[in-house]
Amino acid sequence: MFPLRGRGLWVARRQRGGPAPPHFRRGDRRAEGHAGTEAAAAAARCGSRTLLLTHRVDTIGQMSCNPSFGGIGKGHLMREVDALDGLCSRICDQSGVHYKVLNRRKGPAVWGLRAQIDRKLYKQNMQKEILNTPLLTVQEGAVEDLILSEPEPGHTGKCRVSGVVLVDGSTVHAESVILTTGTFLRGMVVIGLEMHPAGRLGDQPSVGLAQTLEKLGFVVGRLKTGTPPRIAKESIDFSILNKQTPDNPSVPFSFLNETVWIKPEDQLPCHLTHTNPRVDAIILENLHLNSHVKETTKGPRYCPSIESKVLRFPNRVHQVWLEPEGMDSDLIYPQGLSVTLPAELQEKMITCIRGLEKAKMMQPGYGVQYDYLDPRQITPSLETRLVQRLFFAGQINGTTGYEEAAAQGVIAGVNASLRINCKPPFIVSRTEGYIGVLIDDLTTLGASEPYRMFTSRAEFRLSLRPDNADSRLTFRGYKEAGCVSQQRYDRAAWMKSSLEEGIAVLKSIECSSTKWKKLVPQASISTSRSVSVRALDVLKYEEVDMELLAKAVPDPLKKYTECRELAERLKIEASYESILLYQLQEIKEVQRDEALQLPEDLDYLGIKDVSLSHEVREKLHLSRPQTIGAASRVPGVTPAAIVNLLKFVK
Amino acid sequence: MWRKLRSLAAWGPRRLCTAPGATIFALSSGHGRCGVAVIRTSGPSSLKALQSLTAPRALPRPRRASLRLLSDPRSGAPLDRALVLWFPGPRSFTGEDCAEFHVHGGPAVVNGVLEALGGVPGLRPAEAGEFTRRAFAHGKLSLPEVEGLADLIHAETEAQRRQALRQLDGELGQLSRGWAETLTKALAHVEAYIDFAEDDNLEEGVLEQADREVQALELALGMHLQDARRGQRLRSGAHVVVAGPPNAGKSSLVNLLSQKPVSIVSSEPGTTRDVLETPVDLAGFPALLSDTAGLREGVGPVEQEGVRRAWERLEQADLVLAVLDVTDLAAPTSRDFLDAVVAPLACREPKGSSPHLLLVLNKCDLLPSEGPCPRPGPYPYLLLSCLTGAGLDGLLEALKKDLAVLCGNPSTGPPLLTRARHRHHLQHCLDALGHYRQAGDLALAAEALRIARRHLTQLTGGGGSEEILDVIFRDFCVGK
Repeated sequence: MFPLRGRGLWVARRQRGGPAPPHFRRGDRRAEGHAGTEAAAAAARCGSRTLLLTHRVDTIGQMSCNPSFGGIGKGHLMREVDALDGLCSRICDQSGVHYKVLNRRKGPAVWGLRAQIDRKLYKQNMQKEILNTPLLTVQEGAVEDLILSEPEPGHTGKCRVSGVVLVDGSTVHAESVILTTGTFLRGMVVIGLEMHPAGRLGDQPSVGLAQTLEKLGFVVGRLKTGTPPRIAKESIDFSILNKQTPDNPSVPFSFLNETVWIKPEDQLPCHLTHTNPRVDAIILENLHLNSHVKETTKGPRYCPSIESKVLRFPNRVHQVWLEPEGMDSDLIYPQGLSVTLPAELQEKMITCIRGLEKAKMMQPGYGVQYDYLDPRQITPSLETRLVQRLFFAGQINGTTGYEEAAAQGVIAGVNASLRINCKPPFIVSRTEGYIGVLIDDLTTLGASEPYRMFTSRAEFRLSLRPDNADSRLTFRGYKEAGCVSQQRYDRAAWMKSSLEEGIAVLKSIECSSTKWKKLVPQASISTSRSVSVRALDVLKYEEVDMELLAKAVPDPLKKYTECRELAERLKIEASYESILLYQLQEIKEVQRDEALQLPEDLDYLGIKDVSLSHEVREKLHLSRPQTIGAASRVPGVTPAAIVNLLKFVK
Repeated sequence: MWRKLRSLAAWGPRRLCTAPGATIFALSSGHGRCGVAVIRTSGPSSLKALQSLTAPRALPRPRRASLRLLSDPRSGAPLDRALVLWFPGPRSFTGEDCAEFHVHGGPAVVNGVLEALGGVPGLRPAEAGEFTRRAFAHGKLSLPEVEGLADLIHAETEAQRRQALRQLDGELGQLSRGWAETLTKALAHVEAYIDFAEDDNLEEGVLEQADREVQALELALGMHLQDARRGQRLRSGAHVVVAGPPNAGKSSLVNLLSQKPVSIVSSEPGTTRDVLETPVDLAGFPALLSDTAGLREGVGPVEQEGVRRAWERLEQADLVLAVLDVTDLAAPTSRDFLDAVVAPLACREPKGSSPHLLLVLNKCDLLPSEGPCPRPGPYPYLLLSCLTGAGLDGLLEALKKDLAVLCGNPSTGPPLLTRARHRHHLQHCLDALGHYRQAGDLALAAEALRIARRHLTQLTGGGGSEEILDVIFRDFCVGK
């Protein structure tokens, strides 16, 4: 998938004069991506006057690829974006057409909140939100160049950005600039053997900006991605396919919502079909007509396109999910069929598939190749090391996915604002959230394939759960970043104190195992040893929830069942209690190393009086770890090198 | 199985804090000829460790030595009568709670105490330089001290690396690597099931396969641990490797030093074709002396294998005795040897941690009594005649100096700590596999496997999450 079409976004200091008048250039059609909207809104929430530059206002909030949000790992990111008062989770609660939590039976730490989203509704709701955000101005225009000035002393970077030049030559001055260029930096769209410059089908790429960045000395790489064809809904025979119904009740993405805008019975189903050997044959026979597949530009190790699936796992049947694009949309999105064959062959391939025998292709699938900048050139606050006050977020950093983009957007927006107010950056550690894992992986390891979030990337997966994102991030977001509303802060504070109180109460109730067995006969409590058992231990059993426990001990447990979220979270805390105690210790060790900060301007290649091998120097030079903790995660950096670095700790 | 929650309550917090993360221990004195060995702990469980090993009598007064009977907390078997010291943080070497056990220096006692400490919940063997890093983190070391520290840690990690090489060379190494591979695959498949099963179609039976593999691994580890005391006899002492071009007199030197005919000596080049080991007492220090095949190319397959083994042994050496024929320094084999072995070792930092080197020019009895002695290049050297014994005193003196340094480093010498580390990590790996079986949900089960794998990879290296993703993307067709 390739989400987020960002443009530049300008964050101006409050007391500054307004930006230059907007200049509209006809024919420039670009949407504002998920990184851009979240960044702009976050900067504005932090109190900065913000200008969001986009090619066309009416494409803000456009979901350029799949009509869904969330999933395993990605749902975790959305909960964290929401905990920092970001937009996408709330907008999804107003725009979904099919809500489903994945991994229900695998444990609450890996639940994946997911929803099919109505493209039109999402766009409408997002535009309403953006256009009504205080301090946020939207302007149409395409960025061609950056205005640079002398660097500020005391910060790294060879110059400082102080504004941008638009395609028409007009200028906009700003205190800091966030670039969220999506796939538009020298974007090329590929169908079959045809290749033409475009950030997305029908949209012009940004070439001038790409050149500017390269001239400044940024290391540029190239990635590729793709999108499936779209199929006319009425041409599909759903009656012979497996139907997937949404959850009942729907689980909302946002901590602020008790439920979503639409009842489960009004939601749309998804359908499942599969590829077959005839699909494989068409792909294999026509590889010579498929330049995207042959290109050397790096695609991911995982298989985003049907071609890579067929090539790497031959003679297998692959899933194709038929997903609705919206309530009144005539289109179906065949997830799993991302393809770059010539259009007529795509249609031929589609009609080989069960249920799609008479399918009408409304738009062909295509591939996109685009520039990204090695993310080891940015700091964990997402500011570039080369140019002061310039921030990058989204696909420009080598990620893929709406959620990954949104997460970076919030962090870039917050930090762009903190930076101009001379406040310390807001950095989420990998012990605190998937956002931290994402940004730490990018900035220390770089990206050699489009980076997608998986739960297996998180070391502290049992602590970083979708249910507790608010207690991990909302308080910090409120106090340190200023990006969280009072309402959300109050809600999170109430939840935190209720949870603490509830757990204390559950720990205080103790009975013999025989008595518990009588009180809660459903639980498989072992009575072989007569020990006293806490209510919290009884709650750990799979068969037991707060409802059941409160029936056994109404006083004082009844009141903790009144709020469904509270009751569920108590159950989760109980299930993971013992392992979390242990994980907390490990987290503390990591945090200790992360408190040891390295100076940003350390010249690893030049420093003397240290016995660092050339190889280690090179690696440190590329990654520029900000802490001892990050340095120890750079592959090839030895324990002895780490100790040598202690000498430079600030 | 994870699906059938039965004994989640068995994951009591007390069991869990035995995993890595809290209190560390290590042998902090050298070995060599020491009468007393000092074993140190640092971290919040130090007090518990002290109390577990000593009878629960009154706690020793802080920073005062007290005589206590140490016994193994699990078996109750007495270990040693020892001086113990208790340093409550922050007034300690690391700034944390620390305990010190001054025990009698014999390997059995030291080994017993290390194993007993490994069995105390919350304790684990220290990694290279961990004590000093903790001290730095608590502001107990100044910057100049940190510079020395880096060298020390380099030395320790290098010594541990060489030690690990020696061990991993053997059966245990192959076993550990095999286990780690199995475990990585099982974990990758469980992780894939978590991250991808609902969106992509993984093959049937992925989890069942992982279950079977974990079960087999549990069995294998359990058997190994029961058997470990007998099966894992490790030789102690600094590893001294005698190397050089053919016919330089290596075997003669080995026989001279060990004072017994270990190797066959003849004037024919290529007599020694395998590595011959002999434990010796060198200038009062325990050492394992290895005679190796003369290094040369283009000979028969048997000798070539001997040469390969010689190179392998050089990798594992603590001290290299490079032997050259003083009358034959200009020969190509001598020049090659100087370039390939002596130069890289001699050029390393003197205080660094690479193997020590002594360059010996043998057959000095053949030198003409008049005229300058031929020089092997810029390197310092010792003259010796294995035939007449001339120069032997000088060599022993030099050996004594080097071995004192080597044996002063606690991690170089006897593999006691390495063995304690092995047992510790294998036992905890086994415990974690047990938790996998009992875990209440798949996320918990995967966590147990992660912990198990972390313990195994502490022995074999590797273990990043990228490795897991590599296996996932190799084995499954996932992604959208």
